[in-house]
Amino acid sequence: MTAPLTLSHYMIVAGLLFLIGVFGALTRRNIIGILMSIELMFNAANINLVAFDRFLHPEGVTGQALALFVMTVAAAEIVVGLALLLAIYRGTDTVYAEDFNLLKG
Amino acid sequence: MLEQIVFYSLSLLTLASALAVVLHRNTVHSSLFLGLSLAGVAGLFAALGADFIFAAQIMVYVSGVAVLVMFVVMLLGRASDLHLRQINERWMAALLVCGVAAVGLFKIARLHSATVATGAPRPSTHDIGRLFLGEWLVPFELISLVLLAALLGAVFFTRTENAR
Repeated sequence: MTAPLTLSHYMIVAGLLFLIGVFGALTRRNIIGILMSIELMFNAANINLVAFDRFLHPEGVTGQALALFVMTVAAAEIVVGLALLLAIYRGTDTVYAEDFNLLKG
Repeated sequence: MLEQIVFYSLSLLTLASALAVVLHRNTVHSSLFLGLSLAGVAGLFAALGADFIFAAQIMVYVSGVAVLVMFVVMLLGRASDLHLRQINERWMAALLVCGVAAVGLFKIARLHSATVATGAPRPSTHDIGRLFLGEWLVPFELISLVLLAALLGAVFFTRTENAR
């Protein structure tokens, strides 16, 4: 427990968070659950970017700036995803992914 | 010692609530745990000394995305959803995919098992501002266009037919 924290500590936490996100995106039936899992994956990528910035290039802030870009794109993704879900729900009256099998339902 | 306690407790909070997000049957509870998990990630950013990202994570994710998700969950939720299974029947294949990916990720993470942080973290807000309005001006303006497109897309997709 008292060994110094290394980059691999942060990479393992980010990797586990990413794998939990992958598992959720593959198995959740609810579209909102899939979107939440995708948010977890974005956050895992952000942890890695900030950790690389801190451990490998402490003199610059490029990794943190990239993490901000990821955050912006993730926010745009969830907004459009939820708007699409609301539009689909109005037509099909369901939120389960396996029921979305018609393009013009 | 304090550093290790902070790191392990924040990691435990993040991963445990992420698991609850993925596995919980009730989507409302799932979205509450999503907020907790994102707050744990914000704490990890603070532990890494990234003060601006920490604030942005709290403002964008914990108070923006999590609340938005919760709003949609409550808008679309039905009481009958609680009795349906929320995990599809291909969860063993998904577990296999995750296992294979985990082996690769741990092999890569082991490469940096001796990389320790050098020097104390310093405030990054000033440098990020300089970078965004200097060298990265074009990407910075482009990302604002992405946000504008997302805004217009959300309005376009959610309008009702008779409002035309």
